[in-house]
Amino acid sequence: MKLNHIFSTIALTLILTSCSTDDDSTGDQLEGQQGDITIKFDNAVGSNDFLFNNTYSLSNGDTFQVQTLKYIISNIVLLDENGNESTIPAIDNIFIVDESQANNAGEFNITLNDIDAGNYTQIKFGIGVDQDRYTLGAAGQGNFLQQADDAGMMWSWATGYKFIRLDGTYTDSNAADQALNIHMGSVGTSLDNYREITLDLPNTSRVRENSIAEIHVIADIMKIFEGSTTVSFADGYNQVHTNEVETPIIAQNFSESFSVHHVHNN
Amino acid sequence: MINFQNIKTHLICSIAFLLWSLNYSQNLNQNDIDFQDSKLILNDLQESFQSDREECHLNSFTRTVKIDSPSKLLCDLCSCTTSSGSSGFGTLQNLNFVGIRFIYQNFESKDGIFNNSPSSEEQFYTYQAWANIPISKKIALNAVIPYQDLSRKRVNGNENINGVGDITIIGWYKHVLYKRPEGYNVVFENKDPSGHQFQYGLGIKLPTGKFEEQLVDRVNPGFQVGTGSTDFLISVMHNYSAKKWGIKTQGTYYLKSENKNEYRFGNQLSASSNVFYNIAFAKASLNPYLGISTDLYGSIRQFDEEIKDTDGYVFNGTLGAEFNFDRFNLGASYTLPVAQELFAGNVESQQRVSIYLNVLWQ
Repeated sequence: MKLNHIFSTIALTLILTSCSTDDDSTGDQLEGQQGDITIKFDNAVGSNDFLFNNTYSLSNGDTFQVQTLKYIISNIVLLDENGNESTIPAIDNIFIVDESQANNAGEFNITLNDIDAGNYTQIKFGIGVDQDRYTLGAAGQGNFLQQADDAGMMWSWATGYKFIRLDGTYTDSNAADQALNIHMGSVGTSLDNYREITLDLPNTSRVRENSIAEIHVIADIMKIFEGSTTVSFADGYNQVHTNEVETPIIAQNFSESFSVHHVHNN
Repeated sequence: MINFQNIKTHLICSIAFLLWSLNYSQNLNQNDIDFQDSKLILNDLQESFQSDREECHLNSFTRTVKIDSPSKLLCDLCSCTTSSGSSGFGTLQNLNFVGIRFIYQNFESKDGIFNNSPSSEEQFYTYQAWANIPISKKIALNAVIPYQDLSRKRVNGNENINGVGDITIIGWYKHVLYKRPEGYNVVFENKDPSGHQFQYGLGIKLPTGKFEEQLVDRVNPGFQVGTGSTDFLISVMHNYSAKKWGIKTQGTYYLKSENKNEYRFGNQLSASSNVFYNIAFAKASLNPYLGISTDLYGSIRQFDEEIKDTDGYVFNGTLGAEFNFDRFNLGASYTLPVAQELFAGNVESQQRVSIYLNVLWQ
């Protein structure tokens, strides 16, 4: 059995030496380093990828199809393990996620440049336009005013932005192929439907100078109708515009649509 | 910072594995056993492998970070299932040889994160130069040098990668068991083999194949020519052969290390058992065989964080035959998965075909 003992010793040695040391993460010199990050917005219905003109069913049996799907995302902030926030110039930190402009995989990419290098564990962003930005006035909106107008994401300046624009048709027990328009936003300064959400990242997003970090966000469109409040088309949720009862419900429901599926660190 | 959790997992798994097998081989030596006993021992061995595996999984699960949705990253499929793992390192009867082996495998992977995402069809062709060379009566050296040619069909076009894969080298220690003559406690020189043989292997898998990090973001991170890591393996093999039939059982545990991209494939346990029948001809023999095998994978870690839904298992059934004539050994097998759950079902192993031709060592 002597050979067996030698064998065991070799085995042990191999096992022990095979365990490497971890020289990373805390040792990185991140001070002054900046990198880019891409936030992918990927619309879904439940666990399926969202598709235009596909027929989707609500739990009450009503069905709907969508031809236009756009929404405003603003004030994106990354939070690191210590709660520190990334700094992104506010004026540029507003985007229109437009499904019709998405890539082949149905992903709409927002790339943020010159983010402070760090190990980020959460992402925070707003849905719509906050009152601070709105009260800067038309002149204070930069290029975004024109961009939103071109995309059909404005009522008038006085009423303000449409935070989401979902256009399509629906069918319920009363009628088939009726117009469906969900145009939710704040109403001037009298009704604030801007919502901010913070999502945990499943793995640390490592922003570095020489790598491309990526956060893949999913938006489950079904939650707009069946979030914390379930709404039905027959109750007026076929046409949502500036109504002070309906829009906050849609705003709340839509804010529950978002989750982070995974991150990539390259 | 040394990762103690990993060391612990590795130690428990490997030492348990080793000790069990050594313990059993000693038991076998001390007691005169007949086949009935050896069957029981085999069962025990399998059970102990099973509990080792659970221990390992338990350890890796307790350090799972809470995450809410699955990832599309997958595991170390290419390097292990093609170059070793459940496809084995040698011939049915552990002959010494130099030869070539061809392995074809195909997979269907989810090309995206949704239920209605398109699929990608993957074809893995592996050409291996392999050998089992005796160093002494009890020690043999086993080497597998693979060339990988992998391609896949995706919605956006076809992709192909090829090149030399990861080379595996294993040292085997052979332990032949002998019958104890009637009425004696001491084993004499002209001892009679019992038909049982154990082999203990220690091996290393070298990062000779290229690991392309950009590929891990895509459909199936197993779509790699190599893992980019130096991995260790520990293996136990049992053979029993009677006149007309035999059985070969093997269990191998792989300790994966981190590659230069701070990417670490999950540790792996592969086990297989094949029963063969011996049909003898005047100058040749045919050994048809039936077998079962399994590969169990732990989760992938990157930057020392576990990536969810990157573990999995596959159980296979195998039908094969070896033909021995003159100094040649010709083999072929067909493997079909019976049950599997690879990477939360995002990858489906479809089949494996293996053909080899060896020249026996004399």
